[in-house]
Amino acid sequence: MNKELEHSFVEQLQTHQNIVHKVCRLYTNNADAHNDLFQEITIQLWRAYPKFRGDSKFSTWMYRVGLNTAITLYRKSKRRISTQQFDAVEFKIKAEEYDDTEEQQLKLLYKAVHQLNDIEKALVFLYLEDKDYREISATLGISEVNARVKMNRVKKKLKTILNP
Amino acid sequence: MDELDLLKKDWNKDSTDYKSYSDTDLYKMVHKKSSSIVKTLLYIGIGELVFWLLAGILPYYLSTTFKEKLDTSYENPLFVALNIFSYFVILLFIYFLYKSYKSISSTDSAKKLMESILQTRKVIKYYVVFNLSLIFISIPLSLYFEYLENPEFHEQILEASTSQMFVIYLVVVIVAALILLILWFFYRVIYGILLKRLNKNYDELKKLEL
Repeated sequence: MNKELEHSFVEQLQTHQNIVHKVCRLYTNNADAHNDLFQEITIQLWRAYPKFRGDSKFSTWMYRVGLNTAITLYRKSKRRISTQQFDAVEFKIKAEEYDDTEEQQLKLLYKAVHQLNDIEKALVFLYLEDKDYREISATLGISEVNARVKMNRVKKKLKTILNP
Repeated sequence: MDELDLLKKDWNKDSTDYKSYSDTDLYKMVHKKSSSIVKTLLYIGIGELVFWLLAGILPYYLSTTFKEKLDTSYENPLFVALNIFSYFVILLFIYFLYKSYKSISSTDSAKKLMESILQTRKVIKYYVVFNLSLIFISIPLSLYFEYLENPEFHEQILEASTSQMFVIYLVVVIVAALILLILWFFYRVIYGILLKRLNKNYDELKKLEL
């Protein structure tokens, strides 16, 4: 493999690695799975890199490959499934002493987002990353209208999860 | 305030302490092996190819009686045609498997990517279906040739009563069906496990388009 290409790739990935971390944060429940998904996204990014022409921003291109890996390509192994989901445990303890601070609310929100399905998570992710509906629709391969409709449904679903 | 907007505020604060991988870590990761479903699917495809090739070739070399039988049956143009046809299908399969595998791109939209993967799975499926049909056809066909060329077997069949013939038919059909059922179940399990999540997500995306 071209050393120069590899160097420029790693350099850019290093700068933008938080994007990959954010994808992992939404799609995994524990540190092991997080690192594993990070690893797979890195491999997929590197594979697709020769075709990256620079006509879109490196970060934009990363969103697509990152989400595609998380939603479609990534294969969970048994080891990962059996790992304790420490977020859930932490949540149980915290929920008991729930006070109405913003921090608590955020914790519940992240918890609620984790209950969404893969596609809904992708919508939330792109929304949080401030992507417009044109880009959301292009990333997922659905129409802009449908992306809007789905987004509204996701918001409603989150409300129901938070206030059953 | 909208729940998601509250989340957005926090999400973009950059205060979250993610593990920061160094260049060296990332270099190492780049060279690790992928465990994506596409790779698994490709391995299954190649495995199918090797399996059916061996299933066609090995008996010929392992058993001399089988070799003799096959050599005589090759005098029959129908068998030769069937054989040439199956090699043609193998070449076709390699071509389509390669083509659909190459068309899988992680930079496509999520829906397009899923469709390309499902297409690759279909190519493998059709190849398997073809091989299973070939087995299904060749069981009665080889019995028929045996009947034509083996005088002993010919006599036995001629002497058999209607009820005996019925039993023979029944056994042939049940054995063939059983083989197919077991193989079919086997494939359902393999692909069911491998593509469960993909199918679920694909349905979710497709549901939106309705």
